[in-house]
Amino acid sequence: MRILGISAHYHDSAAALVVDGMPVCAVQEERLSRRKNDAAFPLQAIEWCLNHAGLEPDDLDAVVFYERPMLKFDRILTCALRAFPGSWRTFPHAMKSSLGEKVWVRGTISSHLGLPARKILFTRHHQSHAAAAFLTAPTDRAAILTTDGVGEWATATVGHGERRANGGTRITLLREIRFPHSLGMLYSAFTAYLGFAINEDEYKVMGLAGYGRPTMVDKVRRLVHHTDDGAFALDLDYFEFHSTARRSYSTRFVDLFGPPRPAYEPIDLASADGQRFADCAASVQRVLEDMLVTMARSLHAETGLSDLCLGGGVALNGVANARVLSESGFERVFVPPAPGDAGCALGAALYADRIHFGNPDRDVPDHPFWGPTVDGVELAQLAGEDGQIVDRCDDEGAVIRHTADDLASGRVIGWMDGALELGPRALGHRSILASAATTEMRDRLNRDIKCRDEFRPFAPVVPIEAADRYFELPAGGARLARFMSGVFRVRPEWRAALGAITHVDGTTRLQALDRHMAPRLHALLEEYGRCTGIPVLLNTSFNLSGEPIVNRAVEGYSTFLRCGIDVLVAGQTRVMKKGIIT
Amino acid sequence: MQPARPLVRPTGFDRMLAPIHRWIWRNSERRAYKLMRFGETETDGGRDILRAAEVTSDPLLRRLYLVHAIDELRHGMMFRQRAASLLPALRPSATPRFQADWLAPGGHGLDDLAVDSESDHSMLAFLHLSEKAAASRFTVYRDVLKDDPPTRAVFEEILHDETFHMNYTLTQLARISPQHHRRHIWRARISRLWKAYLRIASALAGLIGALLMTVQYFVLLPPFAWLAKRAARRERPGWSAVPPDSRDSLTRQY
Repeated sequence: MRILGISAHYHDSAAALVVDGMPVCAVQEERLSRRKNDAAFPLQAIEWCLNHAGLEPDDLDAVVFYERPMLKFDRILTCALRAFPGSWRTFPHAMKSSLGEKVWVRGTISSHLGLPARKILFTRHHQSHAAAAFLTAPTDRAAILTTDGVGEWATATVGHGERRANGGTRITLLREIRFPHSLGMLYSAFTAYLGFAINEDEYKVMGLAGYGRPTMVDKVRRLVHHTDDGAFALDLDYFEFHSTARRSYSTRFVDLFGPPRPAYEPIDLASADGQRFADCAASVQRVLEDMLVTMARSLHAETGLSDLCLGGGVALNGVANARVLSESGFERVFVPPAPGDAGCALGAALYADRIHFGNPDRDVPDHPFWGPTVDGVELAQLAGEDGQIVDRCDDEGAVIRHTADDLASGRVIGWMDGALELGPRALGHRSILASAATTEMRDRLNRDIKCRDEFRPFAPVVPIEAADRYFELPAGGARLARFMSGVFRVRPEWRAALGAITHVDGTTRLQALDRHMAPRLHALLEEYGRCTGIPVLLNTSFNLSGEPIVNRAVEGYSTFLRCGIDVLVAGQTRVMKKGIIT
Repeated sequence: MQPARPLVRPTGFDRMLAPIHRWIWRNSERRAYKLMRFGETETDGGRDILRAAEVTSDPLLRRLYLVHAIDELRHGMMFRQRAASLLPALRPSATPRFQADWLAPGGHGLDDLAVDSESDHSMLAFLHLSEKAAASRFTVYRDVLKDDPPTRAVFEEILHDETFHMNYTLTQLARISPQHHRRHIWRARISRLWKAYLRIASALAGLIGALLMTVQYFVLLPPFAWLAKRAARRERPGWSAVPPDSRDSLTRQY
């Protein structure tokens, strides 16, 4: 069977193709359209997926959309009614947005692909998250916990999944928490309060939290409390996201926490206000972790299972994931490389294949590389035309050796290899690599390359065999670190030698690299380890501020020319910078 | 590459609007927010031109577009930095009600662009006209900002770059289409006019739609709002059971 999964319209549009039960390709629309967080209907992604597999739309057996648009509209309309008359400003906008395009998904897909309506299916939003988490994880039975801002009505679900010996698969979602009670929205409200962009900058709150102390936990707990049945509820007097799109938090929220940070003002951690914002971030982070640990612990007690699959945008919070692993009782925690809405395209397609059509289960390859492949020859041609220094070498070992030497000499490398990652993390195929040794390197990357706030930490990549030597990985930690989904402590004796990737609180969001997942990067780490004694590199996504991760060689090349990257590597091509010569 | 001549003469239309621009820029809150918005416009424009650099097959154009994109991204940063230095002096919650974005647009103004589907000559013609229009407007803005030397200096520096952009786009258009470059510029002019009409028409349609929707909101919704509020009061926070799905439930949108 050939099944196309689609996510669209809110953030992170994507398409994914499953053929005979196996993912063939998947890509986010932003990587092709070059608009960060592109939420448009993913026409380019669909076209690429079909071309990649050599299919015509008529060849598809089903197209699965990742949520139920009318159920979502029901929530939007109901919330507007509940907030009457206060919602009068947002109502016309919400109706225009929904009725203009978002509820007519069946017609949109049908007209774009020329398919009959009966081939178009809809999963529920959290079913898609659950499927993306469970059906891609190497486990036969697992509990499932999904949490995000909101899907249709659900903001969190718990359940379990099972692969049976006869090849059948089952995902059962037992309970859900409904909008407006949402951990994702709680975190987003603080994201907005701290002057960052909602649905985009939540990870900055997590980074800022490292600089603060959780001195306002009691205040945050006034906003969210546990219910008698072990769930949670928000005190809606502190929020406005459920009644207006203008602001996420209310005046009462501001009375409690003080004036919000203007988005245009830099955070000065030496000032009282800067410290207040950091403490605020640390406090909401702590409360979020506590809530998730409580829910996971209760799910563990209920199911008695040893594995947990986490899905939804909140599963991008690596600090919380690590605490869930160490405190909930689960032995292994699986987080897919794209736990957010982009991964739902793949989740929806797999759900339809395994559950709706009842096809036998198949093991899904355990990697994130489902996108377009980079072409080193294209890079050589572009750079050659521009008079850059190009080195094309057929000897694989030589490219690795030269690159390791460059890194050891303090050069920053743009690294493009094979197929593009699905999800927000650069996991070794579209990465900026640099020495992890010094804080100067961190500052240089923040200042000259990524152009971002100086408090933002960088992540390391290390061969999985060596991870335990440098980092305090609990049992099951290596699995969480496979896709950079957990934050762990750098061993104290290595912190000085790994200054560029050690956050202020001694932690780091580690990628423990399996040789089979990205063999060239693994070889580079080993070679770099031979040069310097420490096989750990700083690994950050290959993009500049406000831009999506690069996809093709030309995008890597234009990024390389615009920032302080010294050497660009794509396949067997190395390019050294001479500048832009007009 | 020769440095561009930093002299741009505003169009008659822009000169005619100078008193209005003076009024718009006089308000310090409006000035700060306009600069912030200009910063976004320049950055967006820079990304579009960057995309043009990535899709063109002409190596010289690729390099020139890259330089242009870097300039635009830098302009965005300059506008934002200037706005950021003005904003702290304002009242904490100051947001001017009327920002006059239509009357005083930024770099590429309100033009939208589908870069991937543009040919090199239509892209160059479009860029030439929008840079020319921006340079004309920025000259007026610079002239009306005599009482704010730092902001004036920002416009002065950007104007210098805009002149270069205006010139290279015309030169390159003449290079790649020596016979028809004037025709391309006229086509781009007509396209800009058509897009301007579409923007005004869709803004007007949006306004009428919002008005009708607001009337319906207050006329039709109150009884349903009462029912929805009553239902909300009965809802208990916490876990709700997820109804089990039948096998064919994926056909449902609701």
